[in-house]
Amino acid sequence: MRASIKRPPTPDAEDERDREPTIQEIINIKLIESGEKERLKELLRERLIECGWRDEMKALCRAHARKKGRNNVTVDDLVHVITPKGRASVPDTVKAELLQRIRSFLSSTAL
Amino acid sequence: MLTPTEDNVSSNSQLSSDIFGDLLDSIIVDVASEAHRIARLGLDRNLDEEEEELRLSAEARARASDPSHSGETNGKYIVDIFGQTHPPVANEILECMNCGRSIMAGRFAPHLEKCMGKGRKARLKATRSSTAAQNRYSRGSPHSTNAPHSNSNRSNGSSGVAGDENSCGTLGEP
Repeated sequence: MRASIKRPPTPDAEDERDREPTIQEIINIKLIESGEKERLKELLRERLIECGWRDEMKALCRAHARKKGRNNVTVDDLVHVITPKGRASVPDTVKAELLQRIRSFLSSTAL
Repeated sequence: MLTPTEDNVSSNSQLSSDIFGDLLDSIIVDVASEAHRIARLGLDRNLDEEEEELRLSAEARARASDPSHSGETNGKYIVDIFGQTHPPVANEILECMNCGRSIMAGRFAPHLEKCMGKGRKARLKATRSSTAAQNRYSRGSPHSTNAPHSNSNRSNGSSGVAGDENSCGTLGEP
């Protein structure tokens, strides 16, 4: 079976034991545990569908698949195709809204 | 508690951007995954492409009207949707549990009818020798004519509706 998603190797248990969790990791855990991450993701997904971003990305994928041949595309491939354009074309309003919510979450969370 | 000192504000916004980037990457992977599925299944061809539709329906019409390619009746056998043919009479060989003969699967039900049940000869056979077993099921009026057979059936302890091997071999099947 072709491996179509490349993932970083699982970190060894030995290396991990002595490290202190970073701020980012702590925040990430709090986000997930409180359910806020899921809500933010849903909000972002909804906004991106509304503004047509999703359709643009799917059109890019379709064009790439047609060029490369339907059975030769991998998910990894498509991710690399969409990512630069995708990141750049998020509307400012959407980005601002999400950042606002993230910041208010960060201020409300106790470390 | 993250107090808003100057240091924290900038790292805060960096943190926010990172989190936003993380969420966005997640959604990008979702979109890519779905597009990949559509590409591999060939579903993108079906979206809004009228020419494709017309071509396919024309193909299907041609196939349907073409007599040599038809699926329904094809000479001797009927061809089903998988292209398999089945002979009109099932031809696996089975052993009858009543009389022990080898019977063809397609002839099994009629054979059993005659061998065990409704036929004239079968009923004669039954009343003559399997009464012990039948008495167990019915109200239980014992037939005295069958003393040796019924004894052997009872002592065996087998609930043999079909299990009377002794007398079956003598009967010829019509």
